[in-house]
Amino acid sequence: MPRIVREAEIVWEGTTARGSGVVAAVSSGAFALPTTIASRVASDPEGKTSPEELLAAAHASCFVTSLGSELARAGTPPERLGVRCTITMDEVEGVGHRIVSSAIAASGSAPGCDAAGFAQAAEAADAGCPFSALIRASATVTVDATLEGGADG
Amino acid sequence: MADRTANVTWAGSLLEGGGTIESVGSGAFGPLEVTWASRAEESEGRTSPEELIAAAHAACFSMALSHGLAQAGTPPERLETSATVTFVPGTGITRVALVVRGSVPGLDEAAFLEQTEAARDGCPVSKALAGVPEVSVDAALL
Repeated sequence: MPRIVREAEIVWEGTTARGSGVVAAVSSGAFALPTTIASRVASDPEGKTSPEELLAAAHASCFVTSLGSELARAGTPPERLGVRCTITMDEVEGVGHRIVSSAIAASGSAPGCDAAGFAQAAEAADAGCPFSALIRASATVTVDATLEGGADG
Repeated sequence: MADRTANVTWAGSLLEGGGTIESVGSGAFGPLEVTWASRAEESEGRTSPEELIAAAHAACFSMALSHGLAQAGTPPERLETSATVTFVPGTGITRVALVVRGSVPGLDEAAFLEQTEAARDGCPVSKALAGVPEVSVDAALL
């Protein structure tokens, strides 16, 4: 099996409370983003990313490829899929901050697929998505799937 | 409690189609393209789930480490952390390798190593990735 290796880096200056960092994609060069502890824990991130937001992007982009594969395997390849992922970090008594849930909302159109088939593909995608499998060790993963248009198709 | 959200779309088949991380809740990035080829072969300037996990882990680890160092009375001036994620299709993520170089006035190497191991074991992303068989940390003072 070919190994896939991807690297990212962060340079952090100062303490957690008052410092800040820039997190960058080394393998692709696709992003370089400022982050602070305030942008991580406050309800308003003020335009800055955070580990949890990066995980949400990772889970959404991992899940969407799994869902596309499952639909293709069922003979109903998708035309278009949309996946929204929300990662929640909470303070758990006695253990500190923990990532407690990842909520996936998937929608899309796949000619020839009915609502039950789409739901089934979403379930299989969750079972097959490497990120879902990993994060389930510590967090709750929920999947909500909605077929767009032609629900009886 | 903090919620963080990302939106991704995909059009076409896995191998020939492509996706876009359209937007994230903070507005900090997007749109970013993702394709299967850029995930499994050369990145060609496109990010991937594994690279995003690497970014999340490097950032989380660094925040936890800077917090631990400050609590110990030796706040860092500067930390440089890289995270490398290895993914084996069909198996999953098999390894995260963290490499950190720190400038921490008043701290010796042994104490720095101890702090980096604590951050590696305790940061929320490490906990969420507890299923990864190997999370290594290579640490040295600058």
